Amino acid sequence: MSILVVLLSLAAGAYALAVIERWAVHGHLSLTGPAWAALALMGRESLLARKSDRLFFELGPVLLLVAGLMAVAVIPLAPGLIITDLATGALFLNAALAYVLVALIMAGWGPNGAYAMIAGWRFLGQFIAYAMLIVMPITAVAMRAESLSTVEIVASQAQLWNVLYQPMGFVLFVVAAMGLAWLPPLDLPDATGELAGGVEAEYTGVRLAVLRLARMVIILALAGATVTFYLGGWLGPWLPAWAWSAIKILAVAAAMLSVGRYMPRIREARYLALSWKLGISLALANIFVVGVIALVVPI
Amino acid sequence: MTIAGAREGAMYGIRRAVAAAMARDLTAFVLPGPSVARSMGIDLANAHLRIVGTPRHANVLIIAGPLDVGLRDAAAVAYAQMPRPRTILALGAGDIAPLPDADVSAPLTQAGLHSGLADLRRVVAAGAFRANTGEFTAAALEVRVEYTCPMHPEIVRDAPGDCPKCGMTLVPRETASDGHGGHGGHDMPREDRPNPADHAHAGHAHDAGGSGAYTCPMHPEVISDASGKCPKCGMNLAKAEEVESHGHGHGHGHASHAPSAHGDHAGHDDKAGGSGAYSCPMHPEVISDAPGKCPKCGMNLVKAEEVESHGPGHGHGHGGHGGHGKQQDHSGHDGHAGHGGHSKATIDGIEPHFMSMVELTEGQPRSSDGLQMDWIEVPFGPFFPGLPAGLRLTLTLDGDTVAASEVRSLVGRAELVDGPPMAVVDFVERLAAMMPLSPVAYRILACASIEEAARVDPGQNARRGRAAAGERERIVSHLGWLAEFGTQSGFLWLAARAGALQLAVRDADIDGIAAQALAIRRLIRRVEAAPLMRMRLGRIARIGKDTPASGPVDRARGGGSDARTGDPTLKDLGFEMRVRNGGDALARLRLRCDEIAQSLDLIAAAGMIAVPQVPDVDRVSGEGEARIETPRGTASLRVKLANGKVVEADLDTPTDVNIALVETVTAQQELGDALSAVASLDLSPWEVRG
Repeated sequence: MSILVVLLSLAAGAYALAVIERWAVHGHLSLTGPAWAALALMGRESLLARKSDRLFFELGPVLLLVAGLMAVAVIPLAPGLIITDLATGALFLNAALAYVLVALIMAGWGPNGAYAMIAGWRFLGQFIAYAMLIVMPITAVAMRAESLSTVEIVASQAQLWNVLYQPMGFVLFVVAAMGLAWLPPLDLPDATGELAGGVEAEYTGVRLAVLRLARMVIILALAGATVTFYLGGWLGPWLPAWAWSAIKILAVAAAMLSVGRYMPRIREARYLALSWKLGISLALANIFVVGVIALVVPI
Repeated sequence: MTIAGAREGAMYGIRRAVAAAMARDLTAFVLPGPSVARSMGIDLANAHLRIVGTPRHANVLIIAGPLDVGLRDAAAVAYAQMPRPRTILALGAGDIAPLPDADVSAPLTQAGLHSGLADLRRVVAAGAFRANTGEFTAAALEVRVEYTCPMHPEIVRDAPGDCPKCGMTLVPRETASDGHGGHGGHDMPREDRPNPADHAHAGHAHDAGGSGAYTCPMHPEVISDASGKCPKCGMNLAKAEEVESHGHGHGHGHASHAPSAHGDHAGHDDKAGGSGAYSCPMHPEVISDAPGKCPKCGMNLVKAEEVESHGPGHGHGHGGHGGHGKQQDHSGHDGHAGHGGHSKATIDGIEPHFMSMVELTEGQPRSSDGLQMDWIEVPFGPFFPGLPAGLRLTLTLDGDTVAASEVRSLVGRAELVDGPPMAVVDFVERLAAMMPLSPVAYRILACASIEEAARVDPGQNARRGRAAAGERERIVSHLGWLAEFGTQSGFLWLAARAGALQLAVRDADIDGIAAQALAIRRLIRRVEAAPLMRMRLGRIARIGKDTPASGPVDRARGGGSDARTGDPTLKDLGFEMRVRNGGDALARLRLRCDEIAQSLDLIAAAGMIAVPQVPDVDRVSGEGEARIETPRGTASLRVKLANGKVVEADLDTPTDVNIALVETVTAQQELGDALSAVASLDLSPWEVRG
């Protein structure tokens, strides 16, 4: 039952995100736009590039979708409303999203086009930038909750949300999540002005629809993770728990989607340099500070 | 109603709904480009369209204005890449062959765009699917299969067979029928296989194609016409023939990178000179007493003596070649020699004959960072989002670093007067129409030079008016550049805002500009303060003071020239040359912002805007020259009049100067940086001498 509810809310969330993305990218705010666009995509030819690596080409978008759905499985939307409350939920989320890298490299290599291929390899470089910065802030979150279960993590924030308890970790996690979901200004693998769509460039029709849906699911999973780890999950006054989850997740996702509109894309070399030199130092400092606070003032 | 690019299938049931959805959700790929459409006054952002960066994601191809002949093949390729159902909307385009006839044609105006799109939606809703659809064919799309040797890429045959050099079976590869190596006219790579073997050779061949007489013994990719030092390692460059004849010397050079290769020849000699009489040219460890095939690669075994003499003999055999293709053979064979060396198992932990990356890449040109990677040649343009439309940039990528670049305009200008003497009016119109990105500036230039030739004075008021018209176009052009930069760098707010302001200012009168001035100044402030901006453009595309450059590119390096400094009209209006320091892409962006602000002041001071009228010259003869500062730099035009008609005209444009900088600013840059660098030059391919 809860699986069905989560999947339905996921579908609704993906649709809402598509509306927001159209507004952020093309400047049109239209509630029915994504529905028409999806229907139109279904009717278009789904071309197979010549000399493509068929297996990789077909599997890339599907694997991306599967990775996103697996990540969603450990996001609690309300008490009891979670597909599976794993004892290692936070770790599982991270493991599921590791397949995003594999899927993008497959999707980049598969279609036999230079733009897509470069884009796929670019994402490998990007992985090196964001990977540590996803894990290390989660470590600090788990330290406070004394559990990797996402439900426990939400419960641990009853007194004080983690965004206030460990703000540095919050910032690092959100930036890393945007890198993982290749959102502007960290959209190196589908940079329109540099690679004409990059990984997406050779996908058309149904395959493109799957790829786009998968991306929306990943963004939702990451927004859900941000809310779970830092914004108190379903916690909140007056409204029912599920409503708080929905509001928070959509707000985080909308912010992640639209912030890139106001700045140029980062350069890959600078992104890597900043992530390692600054990001990892800050993440270590965050773990240390959280450790000290957890020992001294137990809240 | 049907469309030429309908998708196969009967129009029933769910397909009607799908067709209706397609009609509502038009995604457009714009030719020659959204920026060109904007400078023609077409506001695509206001047409309920989604503009996409690749034809693969589009279902309508919008052609804005007459399509240059040089772009038509590329347009056909773009159309062929669109998934069906696909449509063409031609706005004042005229002849567009080899593209099929436009599904909807409309005049090149905003009203034309809206009515054309309305018609298009009806056509799509009614005819997106059709029972029998035809194939779209065009000469540019035809693919020819040719056969080449995997080891000797210079061997190319029309029919299958064996390589005359090594006897290996030739492998098929596809190429465009025009013989341009498969890339001609394609704006998207169709031939670029991410296949190491193919690309290694393609990139390699490209690199070796120089004609320089001097080269570095360590870095064969360094080729120079004059003696000197290698820019990579500082060694003295050697004459190409010397390097060529030093077959062993070269091998030693590589041996220093991979120590195991050094013992190679000894081992090689031992084995080959041993008991076996026959050996494989590729796998010296394969030795047989009888002739036959190599069990590893299937090549014919050759007599041991032949193998023995192969290495040294090779240098002689190719001594007669010029620079072309030389390093390729050379290093290729050194690579094989090294193969034998590796098979001696001198690397601990790697079993003999292990296919190592060292072997695969040995002998290939080395990148500046010392890593060896596949080189692939990737075409960008002429319709690439974020690069000037009409520009064909071919980058040889070493990983994602640009190892070599080649730039070409597909819309270069023809001679201004090619044929009988031209009426003055026709001449002015022709020049203005040739430059879609800055028609007003070239109209002013044409009128000024004719006035010089005819010794006519337009009067002080006309001068002020046209100065202001020129400044208005500068604002429009720089805003257009900002919008392009926004598109390229994903700064979408900037792309939308600058594009909208560009359209608002384009035809505005003095009050209209005053009304927009505040919004423009606010935009400039936000651009300069945008996060990540300095990181994105700082120290990119640095140009030294000694390199010839024109316009904002010139003035953004702490000096430079501006044709406006000598203009008394502009001086009266308070013109002072703006300069920025740094010489990088960031300085150019800031200088353009400065110039926009200054042009607003100049227009306000002029108090009137007047595009020049064609001067009335009555059967005058004479010569005259004029120089003006177009938005991209200094342009000068010399005309000769005879009996009131233009008989000779000679034009120099800023892009003629600045396009030569592309190679410098892209060399050894990461791909994204290289594209930012090219964009920062603000080239107009139409200004390039064709």
